[in-house]
Amino acid sequence: MSAAPAETPVLTRNPETRTMLNVPWNVVVWDDPVNLMSYVVYVFRSYFGYSDAKARTLMLEVHHKGRSIVASGTLEEAETHVSALHGYGLWATYERADHS
Amino acid sequence: MAHGFKKTRKGIVGRFEAPEVQLLQKLFSDVAETLEPQARPDEDPLAAMVGIDQDASEPTDPALKRLLPGASTDPERAEEFRRLTDRSLREAKIGALKASSFALESDPVTLTVEQAQDFARSLNDIRLVLATRLDITTSEDAERVGEQVDFAAVEDIHDYMAVVYNFVSWLQESLMNALLKTL
Repeated sequence: MSAAPAETPVLTRNPETRTMLNVPWNVVVWDDPVNLMSYVVYVFRSYFGYSDAKARTLMLEVHHKGRSIVASGTLEEAETHVSALHGYGLWATYERADHS
Repeated sequence: MAHGFKKTRKGIVGRFEAPEVQLLQKLFSDVAETLEPQARPDEDPLAAMVGIDQDASEPTDPALKRLLPGASTDPERAEEFRRLTDRSLREAKIGALKASSFALESDPVTLTVEQAQDFARSLNDIRLVLATRLDITTSEDAERVGEQVDFAAVEDIHDYMAVVYNFVSWLQESLMNALLKTL
């Protein structure tokens, strides 16, 4: 058996996106009144491997400021993180780091 | 009455009364059903297999919209992301909900860390759905609903949902405390 490349989704990206691959992207988590603080801290610690202190700081930033940048990286990394965070039920988006 | 989850040497353990198991299983299956992708006769089976849904669009049901949120404030980017991830996200959530429902079959319920993570996601998804039905959009709303913890005081469906929401919140909190101890 041979394996087809698993990269098909990349073909659907528009050229504009491809040229921006080197621009760092931010992963943003937004506040909502439902997710438990303990749950958000656990997700930040277990998924990102953050320390308890860092996870709590980010969680409180989400809670008090409405949003927090929880990770940065390439477009692919940001997409992977957002996808994982949606799996956890967190409200996450990604945006270019120079997003105004 | 349930005792909540605790971390033990055998894993993360919870004990439940039969009506609590039935309630949770009903909630897990209701949310799984809500997430079930609509099969279409003209669907490209190959695209479906790799998790692409060319027609995936933002759900109109507010509960579903919260379970499958937009990934970007740029609508075009959000739509593209949704086409690539909607199906696999639905399937992952349904998988966790079904596994969690199955885990409730044993007494006491004993979970590995991985199973407990699935259980936590599933409880969270239940709460997201109940919260939209209860119109919880601000922390004041959450506080108001949070006061309703007495089954004996239930007068209508809204009260009932609020009490259920608080029960699931309490259960998830106990599970998160147990999981945090495993880190």
